[in-house]
Amino acid sequence: MLLFRSEETVDLWCDAHKIPRRPLINLDQLWQLAVTWYGNRLTIESRRPAPDEMMSIFASIGLTGPFWDPKSDQWK
Amino acid sequence: MPFDDVDTKIKLVVYRLTAESGSVPTSAEIAQATDLSDADVRAAFARLHANRLLVPEPNDPSRIRMAPPFSGIPTAFPVEARGKRYLANCVWDAYGIAAALPSDAIVPASDGHTREPLILEVKSGKPISQPYVAHFAVPAAHWWDDIVFT
Repeated sequence: MLLFRSEETVDLWCDAHKIPRRPLINLDQLWQLAVTWYGNRLTIESRRPAPDEMMSIFASIGLTGPFWDPKSDQWK
Repeated sequence: MPFDDVDTKIKLVVYRLTAESGSVPTSAEIAQATDLSDADVRAAFARLHANRLLVPEPNDPSRIRMAPPFSGIPTAFPVEARGKRYLANCVWDAYGIAAALPSDAIVPASDGHTREPLILEVKSGKPISQPYVAHFAVPAAHWWDDIVFT
């Protein structure tokens, strides 16, 4: 995942790499994602979330739909 | 593939040594820090990779490319925290290092297209507000098809 100053530079990057524009998230959402995903990574309790847990984590910050579904076959 | 206590032990040592030094350790450094052989550690790397918990360096099973959120190689997302310079795999992981340590942090990043410097900062458990955005190019179902690109 890359960082951009604005949606305009995202579009320029997508055009340059011939990659369709995909979801954007703001820094508050990104921080919440980082805390939930990695907050206990250095502890023995840390484990990789199961697919349904991943979807719940994404949904908790407003990220829903097949793009955020680790079991989706929409892009195969 | 089994995921046993040896793997958990090695995973914790990887993260402890990385947090202490700023650098992701090699299999030899982990073996030295434990009562395990270098071969045991490399075998654990492979199992942890199969369980999507770390990524060994391609063509060098003694090194780790990714122990998320940490990177074993230089990236565009260094993280300055605790007086050290860590390396993150992506912008999500840059915040992830600040969350995992946990620590205040400064991330001297840049725009993914223009390379204009963009500084991220975490202070007292919160990000300093900026109008920047993160772009996820790969759907979640395909993150591990090529996790380095993702």
